[in-house]
Amino acid sequence: MDSLRIMKILVLIVMVLTMAMPAASAHRVYVQETITEVEIKAWFGGGDSMADAEVAVYAIKNGEEELYIEDKTDSDGLFYFTPKLGVSEYRVEVSESGHKSETTFALTGGATEDTAEAELPLEAKIGAGFGYIIGIAGIAMYLSVRKSKSE
Amino acid sequence: MHISDGVLSFQVIATGWIIALILNAIILWRCKSRHDMAEEIPKISIMTGAFFVASLVHVSIGPTSVHLLLTGLLGVVLGIMAFPAMLVGLTLQAFLFQHGGITTIGINNVMMGIPALLAYLIFRYGYRKGINASVLGIICGALGVILSGIFLALMLITTGEEFTEIAYAIVVAHIPVMIIEGIITGSVVTFILKVRPELLPLDREV
Repeated sequence: MDSLRIMKILVLIVMVLTMAMPAASAHRVYVQETITEVEIKAWFGGGDSMADAEVAVYAIKNGEEELYIEDKTDSDGLFYFTPKLGVSEYRVEVSESGHKSETTFALTGGATEDTAEAELPLEAKIGAGFGYIIGIAGIAMYLSVRKSKSE
Repeated sequence: MHISDGVLSFQVIATGWIIALILNAIILWRCKSRHDMAEEIPKISIMTGAFFVASLVHVSIGPTSVHLLLTGLLGVVLGIMAFPAMLVGLTLQAFLFQHGGITTIGINNVMMGIPALLAYLIFRYGYRKGINASVLGIICGALGVILSGIFLALMLITTGEEFTEIAYAIVVAHIPVMIIEGIITGSVVTFILKVRPELLPLDREV
């Protein structure tokens, strides 16, 4: 008979404990990151910043572009904007009296690759340019000499 | 002072290419039929090289970044051959430095080439009138920059800019460049006239 009593007491303890437990809320929860500010930097080749340049931000949603903000960069060539909720892809155009460049980026999906890294160094480009000029001069020389010989 | 891809409308770009190609064809044809080009080619190549790298020389005074153009210098030293020389220089700048766009090589050629031709005509006219060559060189060097700025402003009207406003902004931003190019052109002209005056295309009928 002892074991029956122990059982009863155990059941009672479990019941009391269950009642004393805090109510677990079973609502579904959401966590979403929001990037509050995007910094756009625009500069000329050579390092000078594009101050007071016109900026146009296009939001890309489902492959469709929509003009989102039009403004100007500050004196350091910087421009800040708050992304539209739910849109993570943007195309930004910066232009200033005939100079224009654009970048397309997604807020999610990691860092964008640095395009400047993959380019030839400036010295190599200058060398290449002079190479072309000498080549063109050589062709022109050849043509003009051939012409004067045939005369 | 280069126009990038995507700034101007298709019609303006097409017009630029047509004008540039026609002028280049006329100039090359005239030069070929008038004088012996073999002697001119080294001089043209050197000036093209100078024009090609000049755009890397930044002048960071004033509100925006500007670079040397050498339009006046090319016009005065090369005469009408400045126009095709610039086509070569601009093409290399567009592909190697990403200065200006590839579709806009034609319009950029017009924008810098026509001021070069005007600088040449003014220099030749002034020289024949007996004006001091150094002074003329300074004026033509600065004028090349101003005229290119005005041409740039004219082209930007088609994108809806206000002409006087944008022209003023461009010309003011280029004041340091004008001064530098005036000095460069003046001293180069003075030097050439002293050392080898036959290098300057002064006694030619265009």
